[in-house]
Amino acid sequence: MNRKDRERLLSRGVPGACGDFETTGISRRSLLSVGGLGMLGLTLPGLLRAEEEVAAAAPPVKAKSVIFLFQFGGPSHVDTFDMKPGAPAEIRGPHKPIKSVVPGLPVSEHLPRMAKQMDRICLVRSMHHTMKNHNSAAYYALTGHAPPRDDQRLRDSLSLYPAYGSVVDKVAPLKSELPTFVSYPHVISDGSVTPGQRASFLGKAHDPFFIAEDPNSKNFKLPELSLPSGLSFERLQRRREMQKLIDSQSRLLEYSASAKGLDDYYKKALTMLSSTRVRDAFDISREPAAVRERYGRHTYGQGCLLARRLVEAGVRFVTVYFDATIGGRSATSGGWDTHGFDNTRMFPIIEKRHLPITEQTLPTLLDDLDDRGLLDDTLVVWMGEFGRTPKINANKSRDHWPQCYSALLAGGGVKGGYVHGASDSTGAYPSRDPVRPDDLAATVFQLMGIDPATEVYDTQDRPLVIAEGEAITELIA
Amino acid sequence: MAVLSKAGCNQGTCHGNRSGKGGFKLSLRGQDPAFDYVALTRGPRGRRVDRVIPEKSLLLLKPAAEVPHEGGRRFRVGDVPFEILRSWIRSGAPGPDSRSAKLERLEVSPGKELEVLVDPAAELQIRVHAVFSDGTRRDVSELAVYEPVGDIVEVSSSGLIRRSSFGESTVLVRYLGRQEPVRVAFVPAGKGYEWRGPLEKNFIDKAIFGKLRRLRLNSAEVCDDTVFLRRATLDLAGRLPTSDEARAFISAEKPGKRARKIDALLVTAGFADFWALKWGDLLRNEEKVLDRKGVQVFQRWIRESIAAGKPLDVFARELLTARGSTYRNPPANYLRANRDVLQRAENTAQVFLGVRLACAKCHNHPFERWTQDDYYGWAALFSRVRYKVFENKRRDGLDKNAFVGEQVVWIARDGELKDPRDGKSVAPLLLGAAAGGPGEKDDPLEFLADWVTSRENPFFSRSLVNRIWFNLMGKGLVDPVDDFRATNPPSHPELLERLAGELEESGFELRKVIRLIMNSSAYQLSSVPVDSNGKVETGFARVLPRRLDAEQLVDGLAQVMGVSPSFNGYPRGIRAVQLPGTNAILPRYKKPSSADVFLKLFGKPDRMLTCECERMSQTHLAQAFHLVSGPMLHDMISRGDNRLGVLADSGLGEMGLISELYWSALGRPPSEAEVASARRLFSSAGGGRVALEDLAWALVNSKEFLLRR
Repeated sequence: MNRKDRERLLSRGVPGACGDFETTGISRRSLLSVGGLGMLGLTLPGLLRAEEEVAAAAPPVKAKSVIFLFQFGGPSHVDTFDMKPGAPAEIRGPHKPIKSVVPGLPVSEHLPRMAKQMDRICLVRSMHHTMKNHNSAAYYALTGHAPPRDDQRLRDSLSLYPAYGSVVDKVAPLKSELPTFVSYPHVISDGSVTPGQRASFLGKAHDPFFIAEDPNSKNFKLPELSLPSGLSFERLQRRREMQKLIDSQSRLLEYSASAKGLDDYYKKALTMLSSTRVRDAFDISREPAAVRERYGRHTYGQGCLLARRLVEAGVRFVTVYFDATIGGRSATSGGWDTHGFDNTRMFPIIEKRHLPITEQTLPTLLDDLDDRGLLDDTLVVWMGEFGRTPKINANKSRDHWPQCYSALLAGGGVKGGYVHGASDSTGAYPSRDPVRPDDLAATVFQLMGIDPATEVYDTQDRPLVIAEGEAITELIA
Repeated sequence: MAVLSKAGCNQGTCHGNRSGKGGFKLSLRGQDPAFDYVALTRGPRGRRVDRVIPEKSLLLLKPAAEVPHEGGRRFRVGDVPFEILRSWIRSGAPGPDSRSAKLERLEVSPGKELEVLVDPAAELQIRVHAVFSDGTRRDVSELAVYEPVGDIVEVSSSGLIRRSSFGESTVLVRYLGRQEPVRVAFVPAGKGYEWRGPLEKNFIDKAIFGKLRRLRLNSAEVCDDTVFLRRATLDLAGRLPTSDEARAFISAEKPGKRARKIDALLVTAGFADFWALKWGDLLRNEEKVLDRKGVQVFQRWIRESIAAGKPLDVFARELLTARGSTYRNPPANYLRANRDVLQRAENTAQVFLGVRLACAKCHNHPFERWTQDDYYGWAALFSRVRYKVFENKRRDGLDKNAFVGEQVVWIARDGELKDPRDGKSVAPLLLGAAAGGPGEKDDPLEFLADWVTSRENPFFSRSLVNRIWFNLMGKGLVDPVDDFRATNPPSHPELLERLAGELEESGFELRKVIRLIMNSSAYQLSSVPVDSNGKVETGFARVLPRRLDAEQLVDGLAQVMGVSPSFNGYPRGIRAVQLPGTNAILPRYKKPSSADVFLKLFGKPDRMLTCECERMSQTHLAQAFHLVSGPMLHDMISRGDNRLGVLADSGLGEMGLISELYWSALGRPPSEAEVASARRLFSSAGGGRVALEDLAWALVNSKEFLLRR
């Protein structure tokens, strides 16, 4: 059965406002049973039942932390980790593949250090969806939920889903003075702010601890953790003493839950202001110069280094944005959106900017995590919002292509040197094991020990599951 | 089917999910028996139901966990559910039959009245009887599904309610597509209980205190004048009383001064500002769709309507039926803001009727009678709304959500809504059984407005008084405030009816209802608990302190510090409650000011939803950072030209300074202990200005300042 037939069967149902709401007909299970379990006659009940009882409980924690490296703009899959050397010239492009340490897993010649580390990588080559615009697609990538429409300026609102990290902060928060979810150093946008970067209907309490400062700047420090000039910590303590006295007069702390809640946040804020653990975690200047150089003295490189520091301190979810904008017209700034507009050309730009930065940061981060024994329980995710057109356009560049693209996973409970799914001969469509962002979301939550079917409530008190997809069990180590 | 509901098989997280589970999909909570029958009997090669060897049916093996089942074991071999399903399969798995008896209603005991159980009583058995069309009546207590709302109680699968903590709760009882709520309250015994509450001043107190007596609770005492003045000024004018106002009110000895204060506040400009802000939230007055000019004219129209005392039915009718230019006829911005037919339908139901329809878009509402047919019929009323966009001068041509420029709202002669389920035209229909639809020649929105504001419509006046009650009392009689449904009953049904009646009697006068509520003892209760009412947060036994709104906070801080914060795009001097829109579009290249950031952080809504819930009243860590050392407050306190500077130079002595700061921040004089501490602060800080800043910081960071109590 070819892909199209299968998708048609899978999505058969009454077309309507809610997609496959009334789907009947042949399903994945029936396909499976034709050649799989069905032939075994479903015996082994005892053994399997024991397994099933475990499965019904919360999944085991394989990734204590996640570093989500978001490659805004959309990296080309066919010029990085899913090259098509056998395809015609207008598809394969000017770059050549080189062998990696994993047999049969070549990568771009511009990624020789990555080639040596592919045994750590779990590569998903069959990501796909249908959102052609950056904001809708990026929202999908950052939340795992399909946006209501494919809209170049999709507006953020409380009816949209929260970022992964905000969900983690809601259902599995850290119990320490550290924030659960940290993101930096950009608020990404394409004409309007891209939805999916914050907590949405979960409430601002679950927004990321967001850092707008450049971790590569000499004076990098967090405004929240530093006091304005003229306000010493001693003076602040004096103020706090007076505040406590006034609070004791009104007795509000004795009988009001809101007052107590507020005061707990004051306590936490003051602890963070005085805690060396928190400040140290963010204090990138404590890294040896050589380490800082290794990651690269640029915003993204130092962002990756900061991510390692934060994970080391215990932060559960760190999102690092490659760039604030989709970019594509400059070899010195911007994201991966290389259409070749305005006389720019894709290949010179990615050769000078995107591939070298990737080559410098990702292997360094994996090495560093591994050296510190952190890689086993830290999941690293590297992906954009879509791939790029297999066929090179009139500008000698590539356009948006959500129908098939790649995502990289490493560490935290995934198989190394493993490829899940495949694309067809031109990288245009998945040819095997198609994966939607919904499924990737379910996989990430499952690896973190969070049941993907966990429900959260939206502003209308509707119960919504945090991930509607199915976890990809094949790639879990 | 009831068996599968009972076992949880058709829940949203399991096979009732939009895409089923493991390739097996049931209709959500069994709402569609015909669909489920096909799913069960025509499944993959008949494995789900095996009529030859019933015991081999997956329908039995899976939930009994005899074969692997991701959902775990739902029941055991031989259990009642197992046996019911087995006997159904054995008898050939007959399908739903149009001739068989239909479920007419459920009889649930206890009934609709609140059941009050006094400690040590900690359990209550629910009994459910199903009455069928052929007259049979069957005890289905074992088969019904029970869902408690909140965590006050737990319910066993056979309907035994167990108390987890004291308080009031609702349990939903479901059986074969019918639902009934059971209301129950568990209260402490309160040894030697005796009512000691304040005087009943009107029917509101009668209802609130009457229920408290049934719950064997006492209400708090009536609050003192300082608390009353602060509360009333915040609720009506959205601001703090000034130190002069506070001093004057406290020293005024005459009886009736509270009622007079309420009357006075109701005619201030602040009242129109603040209540226009609340309506602006609901009516989605924001710049991206209405543009800056549209936002200004719409806000001015809302504000003037409130200031002029326009009856609320007229207000609603004007919003629903306004046509023409959105610049010259401001209420037309309501339809301009809601650009999509389903959005118009859902939002109108939510704002004017207090009904949430969104669930019924995709499935029959799980907790309510609204079906998909109701949903699309209602939506069809809105399908002929059209916009003439003369010229869209949006800066970003790619942004389809942005509109800059005048538009004309008009109603087309045709334009039917197609039902996405079958592609057929839907006949427009009002919500509710007897309501009907418009005639051929009727303008559908005029027809709709007639019904919305008529007395036959059970929702309009109730939802309005509930919103007013919510704004003054902190929680709706129906809660959430816009979620009216049979399965979410009001806490005080007769009070809701009476208030709605009063609103209709008064000719839909907003101020009338506000006056009634604010002059009650119930509104004027203290937040300090007495006896056991501190343990039971129910029944409006005391006022629950809540954080000030974002705008109230910014204006309050600015007032105490004597500064005018800047809001990007507006002249200095405008107060936060007067901001017409949300600053969704900032003047180019300008960053939001520190006050703009503060407003967002403290929950000023983006006005993307027609829901009170979008204004987030939560507190969180980032707010604490902004209050501790954030840029807006730090600048307000430390800038040289603020009120602290004026005070420092005023020649007031130390005592005078302390006293003035207390009156302006908290509306009361400092206690002796506070004076002593403040004096120590002055001596240790070693300078007037530094000590003033520290004291001012402590006052505005006190819970008494940040909360409305």
